[in-house]
Amino acid sequence: MTQMSGLVEHVTCLGCGCSCDDIVVAVRDGRIAEARGACALGASWFGDGRVPAIARAGGSNVSIDAAIDAAAALLDEARRVLVFLGTDISCETQRAAVEVADTVRGVVDGISSSSVASGILAAQRRGRVSATLGEIRNRADCIVFWGTDPSARYPRYASRYAPEPAGLFLPNGRRSRTIVAVDIGGARGPADADVRLEVPPEQELDTIAALRASVAGRSLGTERFGPALADVARRLAAARYVAIVYDAEPGALPAQPARAESLTALGQGLNAGTRACVTPLRGGGNRIGAEAVLTWQTGYPMTVDFSRGHPRFRPDDGPRALVDAGAIDAALVVGRPLGLPFAIDAVHTVAVGPAASDAACEIAIDTGVAGVHEGGTAFRMDDLPLPLSAPLPGPPVAADIVRTLAQRIGARRARRS
Amino acid sequence: MSDRLRITGGAVYDPANGVDGDVRDVCVLDGRIVDALPTDAPRLDAHGMVVMPGGIDIHAHIAGSSVNHARRILSDERTADPTAAPALRDAVPRSGTGGTVPSTFTTGYRYAGLGYTTVFDAAVAPVSARDTHAQLDDTPIIDAGFFALMGNDAYLLQQVAAGERDRARDYTAWLLGATGAYAIKIVNPGGVELWKRNIRTVKSIDDTSGVPGATPRAIMETLADAAATLALPHPVHIHCNNLGLPGNVSTTLDSMRALSGRRAHFAHAQFHAYAGGNGKPWASGAKQLIAYINAHDEVSIDVGQVMLGHATTVTADGAVEYLLHASSGRRWVNVDVELETGCGIVPYEYRDAAAVAALQWVVGLELFLLSEDPWRVVLSTDHPNGGAFTSYPELIRLLMDRAYRDDRLKAVNQKLLAGSALADGLAREYTLREIAIITRAGPARQLGLANKGHLGAGADADITIYARDANIAAMFSTPRYVIKAGELVVEEGQLRRAPPSRRLYVRPPYDDAVMRDLSAWFERYATIALANYPVAPPRDAPVPVGAGA
Ligand code: SF4
Ligand SMILES: [Zn+2]
Repeated sequence: MTQMSGLVEHVTCLGCGCSCDDIVVAVRDGRIAEARGACALGASWFGDGRVPAIARAGGSNVSIDAAIDAAAALLDEARRVLVFLGTDISCETQRAAVEVADTVRGVVDGISSSSVASGILAAQRRGRVSATLGEIRNRADCIVFWGTDPSARYPRYASRYAPEPAGLFLPNGRRSRTIVAVDIGGARGPADADVRLEVPPEQELDTIAALRASVAGRSLGTERFGPALADVARRLAAARYVAIVYDAEPGALPAQPARAESLTALGQGLNAGTRACVTPLRGGGNRIGAEAVLTWQTGYPMTVDFSRGHPRFRPDDGPRALVDAGAIDAALVVGRPLGLPFAIDAVHTVAVGPAASDAACEIAIDTGVAGVHEGGTAFRMDDLPLPLSAPLPGPPVAADIVRTLAQRIGARRARRS
Repeated sequence: MSDRLRITGGAVYDPANGVDGDVRDVCVLDGRIVDALPTDAPRLDAHGMVVMPGGIDIHAHIAGSSVNHARRILSDERTADPTAAPALRDAVPRSGTGGTVPSTFTTGYRYAGLGYTTVFDAAVAPVSARDTHAQLDDTPIIDAGFFALMGNDAYLLQQVAAGERDRARDYTAWLLGATGAYAIKIVNPGGVELWKRNIRTVKSIDDTSGVPGATPRAIMETLADAAATLALPHPVHIHCNNLGLPGNVSTTLDSMRALSGRRAHFAHAQFHAYAGGNGKPWASGAKQLIAYINAHDEVSIDVGQVMLGHATTVTADGAVEYLLHASSGRRWVNVDVELETGCGIVPYEYRDAAAVAALQWVVGLELFLLSEDPWRVVLSTDHPNGGAFTSYPELIRLLMDRAYRDDRLKAVNQKLLAGSALADGLAREYTLREIAIITRAGPARQLGLANKGHLGAGADADITIYARDANIAAMFSTPRYVIKAGELVVEEGQLRRAPPSRRLYVRPPYDDAVMRDLSAWFERYATIALANYPVAPPRDAPVPVGAGA
């Protein structure tokens, strides 16, 4: 039932973690002609909707059914399987992929372990103080952009969430808010901020500690940071609702594994006197969904090892370490096979996802893109679930293929037991 | 698996049908209880055993964004409690992890393994309902539904403030249907919104510091009336203001009196039954509270018993969790959920040696033991807040076995127990009939589930069969057989099948006029399109409204 022409409204974009759900996709002649309302990043994420449609196994093109059979045999017979949750897949696909990992007693991971592990581990030690984006939009009268200007990697953050929109408690939008830019070396906050604080990268943690001390009413040598820091601390303490926003994805800020935990401690401390949240900016493609699904099915948000017949959390032994150590002999990549933390040709690899056939895998089954060709659920950067629509249905549905794969592996195992 | 089954020779406890331990057969056909079966139907020998309807949990936290936030930070306790995949005959078995907040498949398996077949998640932020449904889809066996949090919803509070009670009712009807929820939940009415505004205490149910006109009293009245007018199967489900604070029993009683004459369920009453405060030490307020409940048929409660040991506090009541974090120094999660509700989490341990924990343990037991109408006092631990649901067998033992209870009482901190009824000696021991009421028939009645909680013809064939044991906890922790919708899921104490669960939800009608107003509100303040807000209707038919009550 391919929709050849027409407009599809309220489409969710997974181009970044903003997950804007107000896109109007114009379909013409079986292609996406326009993604109205999307930013440039979003427009390129939608593309024209063309995806390869190949199923390949044993070096030649085969039927999807034959490719699934071959994949089931390969994964079932492997000694130790890695299941990797890539991008552009729905939670429904992720759920089936984790089932495969559980059934074959493999290891399952997504992109979080190689990008935001320090934040996940920090939350396990200390907790978190968070808010959904709508709270920031409607309530935050003081927003600290910690070494980040969302406009670069999250283009519509400012217009959809903060600081621009008027909110329930911020009738004048941007003018109702104080924006603090913390510039960490070259990682600068928004240019039009009301207040700036320059922080040399090597002093970032000390700065957070000083802010913490200051909002707790202790000076603890805050003088050495000068009046700008004291001013920021005063503003934080005086605000009704503070949002501290940083980019948790790699490459934006100078690497600092202790940042997430330190900022959380600052946010928790701020809540003694006022209200505050600390919220990471996160990328798109439903990476947040992978953490959520892994958590509800296994209890752990990343790097789960089923080799003992139950989930074990292996944050120190991620896919790269296992592949390098020769512990893995087969991999199932579910999703777009991009940015993998291991060499795809180091093991026998099955890929099921958008443009799977572009990668050098033994078995590849191309599917559509979640949110373009197939519906389902995805999570926004703030852990809120959103529906995906399928403005351009037609290509094989990843969720169906991975479910079928899981069933066939389950059936093989059941026959043997 | 046959679709017919005759359970023979067991002592049947079916209080809804006046059956109290009589030895009789129970017949199952196509997933339902029937009066009779041909003599050649397959038999299950239950001689010497106890037969009850499947357990029903009226208030637990098992699925949804807040539960997943809790799972995420509890890697330490779940490392200590891995669960291998069971040997199932009908489904791909899944492994998981336990602890106080188990993973989804493990939650389904463990509840069924205790003989529970129906569970409600008591607190779902409407905006994340989609997440809850997905998690429940991965929670097998147990029929499940959830309550939608409304007591701090900014749109609703504005309608309450403006006196627009009809519009408020239409909104609740829309929201229940849009989220696939079963009932209206209020957590700390108005108080979560206050917490977001940095006002941390609710002075009384007439506190006016929030949205003008939307006092806790007005919020409770509006939503209680909405539930009644919509004839929802379950009345408004209320977590009162001032949870966990000394002296809060007066707030709880005020809340009950405010709704006098209206049906209402008050959640985890134990956490709302403390005397003292204002400079006086904590004390039990259970006697006062249960006296009111005993005298008022329109009120039901679940107890929210504290079990000494590990727990995880998970609530929409963010302010409470801040206090717990500040006083205990433990890990703390807070998530403010856009214009709807909050979420707070602190892992916790109730220690024998801690004076307040001991008092809380005593207060819960007093509510059980002083109650005169078990139909309106439901067993719960507010899982995982007072303790995990896996501690229910232990709780049943405390209720049924006085000698054991008195021994436990001696081992806890006595500092705050002077003058408490339990410390003065309560001889009561629950009977099997009463246990069947507080874990099955009572919650089914309070939830308006006509086909559950009993073994009369037409009921869902959800049945638990226990082998008698002198140790009550042992008896209730490993039922010999559990039947879910006619399928034998536990055989000889082993989980053998894990059929998918059914979803319990309502879809009440409403006047469409509310949608115009609501769409303007969404335009201004929401970050999700109104069109994207509703979840896809669950595959099961909704529970009808209007029939019950
Ligand atoms: S901001 Fe992000 S989610 Fe929104 S349209 Fe741009 S790429 Fe898509
Ligand atoms: Zn609760």
